Amino acid sequence: MVEKIKVERFTCWYYDVLALQAITLAVHEHEILGIIGPANSGKTSFIRSLNRLNDLNLTFRKQGTVLLDGKDIYAMNPEALRRRVGMVFAMPLSLPMSVYDNVAYGPRRHGRRGKKRLDETVEKALVAASLWDEMKDRLSDSALKLSGGQQQRLCLARTLAVEPEVILFDEPCSGLDPISTAKVEETMLELKQKYTMVLVTNNIKQASRVSDRTAFFLSGELVEIDVPSRLFVTPRDKRTEDYVTGRFG
Amino acid sequence: MKSRTAQRIAFAVLLAVSCVVFLPVVSIFVILVKEGGGALTPEFLFTMPSEGMRSGGILPAIIGTLLIVVCAIAVTLPVGVLAAIYLNEYAKDNLLTRVIRLAIVNLAGVPSVVFGLFGLALFVMMLNLGVSVIAGALTLSIMELPSIITTSRNALSSVPASFREVSLSLGVSRWRTIRHVVLPNAVPGILTGAILSLARIAGETAPILFTAAAFYVTRLPHSLSDQVMALPYHLYIISTQIPNMPSKLTYGTALTLVLLVFLMSLAAIILRIIFRRRKKW
Repeated sequence: MVEKIKVERFTCWYYDVLALQAITLAVHEHEILGIIGPANSGKTSFIRSLNRLNDLNLTFRKQGTVLLDGKDIYAMNPEALRRRVGMVFAMPLSLPMSVYDNVAYGPRRHGRRGKKRLDETVEKALVAASLWDEMKDRLSDSALKLSGGQQQRLCLARTLAVEPEVILFDEPCSGLDPISTAKVEETMLELKQKYTMVLVTNNIKQASRVSDRTAFFLSGELVEIDVPSRLFVTPRDKRTEDYVTGRFG
Repeated sequence: MKSRTAQRIAFAVLLAVSCVVFLPVVSIFVILVKEGGGALTPEFLFTMPSEGMRSGGILPAIIGTLLIVVCAIAVTLPVGVLAAIYLNEYAKDNLLTRVIRLAIVNLAGVPSVVFGLFGLALFVMMLNLGVSVIAGALTLSIMELPSIITTSRNALSSVPASFREVSLSLGVSRWRTIRHVVLPNAVPGILTGAILSLARIAGETAPILFTAAAFYVTRLPHSLSDQVMALPYHLYIISTQIPNMPSKLTYGTALTLVLLVFLMSLAAIILRIIFRRRKKW
């Protein structure tokens, strides 16, 4: 099994507040790694460290390493890193422009020109995000007119259009209804053939449905990481058991 | 006293105070229209003055004012927007940026006549531009810089941070993110601020007194290094320096200036309404 991302003793702070404590884990190629945990457990800090979006926060400090294909991401150019490690945010954050322009945004900024090539890229990304059939006649509509679920898949298509290797999902379904959620999950499972994914979620059931392995974070610590059939059924740690059985959180 | 009675009295006082603010605006307008409204004929607006400015029109003053303010904004807008981009998007909180911010605040507090003398010393004399449209415009542009920077910064910071995050998360550089996501969404606010600045400097007298304004010129300006007549200065001259000046023309000139400023503000308000309707988040 190839380790796509390897996190070693990763610790970080905002100001002097500890957010993550000596996290060590690996994300395998072509898996969906689920990350669960209550609020303030460090889940979001963790995935925002994987594409260095935390760098925007001037109070952020870190120790330890994150390796992508064996190379330290904090020694890379952050723009080059983010092209390889894409992200879908908690809220469907469509940019105030058309559906087409949203998907073409990344490729255009990275210098892709020519209507035909862009058309192909946009279609491919929308197909991969299972949105092409709904969107092919609405490409010039404002993205903000779409439903929440469609917008979230549009955001996924926008990420896919940059052709990343890893996709980070930060609670992608927290604002969606169950049917839209099911569609997003279905799409994620289809994408597994090509991409490595990390899914942060508040929804324990979602983690058990889609993730290949699940990690449980609590107060900035990695408590336990295992395949869902064990983590949710016979957890080794008492705290995991309490959380997955709904005793707290 | 019962608390409800106290409240009523307090509201009445507040209302009265608010009306005091409203009153001068209305009375200025009423007086100007009553005394000078009759002077506003096409001939007054579009012909040259004659008989030592005691009759004829005020065309050169209108053209001069428009020319100066448009040139001033053309200079100050790019500088102000670029400074705002730096301060809002890039600058860290360190000694340098704190000094810059302090300078902006202090620049805004300098009296306008000091700007006039500064412009005289720097642009007219040192840079040898002479008393000209360009010297006056540069002086006004420095005076207006703080307000352009402040309104542009507000426009930039009102663009949601999430837009920047989305763009950066796609591996787009910070500059391209600003250029393609932040700026397009900040343009309405920046433009509105620019037009309001235009309106404000159109009425300024002191900064152009020594740098651009002429007592009386017999022809329209041919280039930016010409002296020009300007409405506020013209108004000052005809009210104090010309004996037997028909008061109708004085009031008419004042009314023209007020209407010009009012029209610019109105344009800014209309622009803001249009953009707000189109705003999609």
